[in-house]
Amino acid sequence: MPSDLLLEATGLVKHFAGRRVVDGVGVELRAGMVLGLLGPNGAGKTTTLRMLSGFIAPDAGTISYFGRDFSAARSATKRLLGICSQEDTLDQEFPVAENLLRYAGYFRPRVEGLRARVDELLDTFGLRPFAGHRPDELSGGFRRRLMIARAVVHRPRVLFLDEPTTGLDPQARVALWQLVNRLRGEGLGIILTTHYMDEAERLSDELLVLAEGRITARGQPRTLLGAVLGEHVAVYATAGDAALEERIAAWLRAADASTPAPIMDEWHLPLRAAQLAAFAAAFPALALRLREPNLDDLFLKLARDGEGAASAAALAGRAP
Amino acid sequence: MTLLALADWRSWAVMRRHARVYLRTWYIGMMPPALEPVVAMLAFGLGLGGFIGALVWHGQTLTYLTYLAPGLCAYTALNAPFFHALWGAYVRMHYQRLYDGLLATQVELPHMVAGEILWGGTMGTMFVSAVVAVILALDACGVLHLPHPLLLPLVLPLVFVMGCAMASFALTFTAFLPSIDHMNLPAFLLAIPLSLVSSTYFPVPDGHPLVRLLLAINPVHHLAESARALAILGAPDLHVVWLLLSSGVLLAVTMPLATMLLRRRLLGG
Repeated sequence: MPSDLLLEATGLVKHFAGRRVVDGVGVELRAGMVLGLLGPNGAGKTTTLRMLSGFIAPDAGTISYFGRDFSAARSATKRLLGICSQEDTLDQEFPVAENLLRYAGYFRPRVEGLRARVDELLDTFGLRPFAGHRPDELSGGFRRRLMIARAVVHRPRVLFLDEPTTGLDPQARVALWQLVNRLRGEGLGIILTTHYMDEAERLSDELLVLAEGRITARGQPRTLLGAVLGEHVAVYATAGDAALEERIAAWLRAADASTPAPIMDEWHLPLRAAQLAAFAAAFPALALRLREPNLDDLFLKLARDGEGAASAAALAGRAP
Repeated sequence: MTLLALADWRSWAVMRRHARVYLRTWYIGMMPPALEPVVAMLAFGLGLGGFIGALVWHGQTLTYLTYLAPGLCAYTALNAPFFHALWGAYVRMHYQRLYDGLLATQVELPHMVAGEILWGGTMGTMFVSAVVAVILALDACGVLHLPHPLLLPLVLPLVFVMGCAMASFALTFTAFLPSIDHMNLPAFLLAIPLSLVSSTYFPVPDGHPLVRLLLAINPVHHLAESARALAILGAPDLHVVWLLLSSGVLLAVTMPLATMLLRRRLLGG
């Protein structure tokens, strides 16, 4: 195992109420790397995260940290994990600085130079002015900062961030991105789940896309977009012309191209370079606007594919 | 195996957290246990006791107030841990989401449960210490006539054991009751009957086999009688053994059960 490999999980499976919510997921995380875990609601992201962070045990599969089996060295491993959950779980009874101090008390070996560490985090996360305030007196953005600061107070080597910027304004989101970037620079391996595609694209070194409990795509953001979507997204409007839409759909089926996503009054169609030329030639009257694909397109495509698969499964279930 | 969690550093870390929160406002928190026995002794001991007159216990003729005072230690040792683990733990779990935060550390579910139980026992001991102090003060003032008042503090280690058992018992309900309103059910259907069938306020007639059984398995009864034996007879009796036995069994049964139910509630498995 390479020395910078922090986490290696293989074949993770989890069932809830008879349903297989995670199905054969594998994860690798290296030092100084941010792994983005993406997928629509119910894709299995949170369950995967909860298995990796030790909240629940997988029904099948293996998880090892630093080359050791997680279940065999659970407490020693948890000493090196930092977990920032989606919901605020701050201790409302203690002010900001004491939240950090108390939280460190739940780890052994004890945090060396704890007072200095807390001071450092108060400065790094911009929490110094609020050190004596209770968490419920902070804004949403500063509460999230405190959640992340608390998750790293014991100097973990792996950090889990579950939707860390949900509900924050753009300024607070950017501030948190900078903090995450800084933690990556310090050598932490970070697993990030988010619904914000721009966030995943900016922060992640590698993406792992889940749908219906399975990995549907993985790779570096740009490579992944090119591999799954192609080089372009053509944007066009049909003004509700059903006949034209049907002709386009037939052409796309024949060309084995993606289906377009309807967004407001326009269609957004991911295409490879060769497909784009052929599409433009097939529909010369269509006013095409081109842009680069982004993770929103990927997310929408995977969601559409998932709906398609679900519809097909439902139809198959009704077939005699 | 779950009982071993009581000795783990993580359980004591959780217990210290609860203690620190409580001790910030100890002067408010200690008011109920300090005032409750005064109120109870005024209302029941002096008020009701005036109608009762004297009663005979273990061959000794006592005023009702002298009979009641040691019993109040048992009543407090039941109430403080039981209600702390019922309402207090539910607030921490459900409204404050404290348990979710703790489980993200090296603290595991059995340690969290053990931490609640240890704090229940500690809190009960602190509260009963206040009750004992009030009883000793009233005895020194001549309001009470305990033959061996200075032996009463020896009841405190027993209070800790029973407090742990009562906290564990209550935590079992916290683990599965759906809302904070439902906490009234174990409070009224279990805690109050436990305190009534316990010789705390009055000697329970034990002629019926069912009553004898209830008294035998009720740690509150054994603690009340142990406190009385110390302060009135001047020596512990067999109730100490029964107290340790009944509390131990209660703890051994309810602690794993509370852990299992909380696991299902918090972690879904």
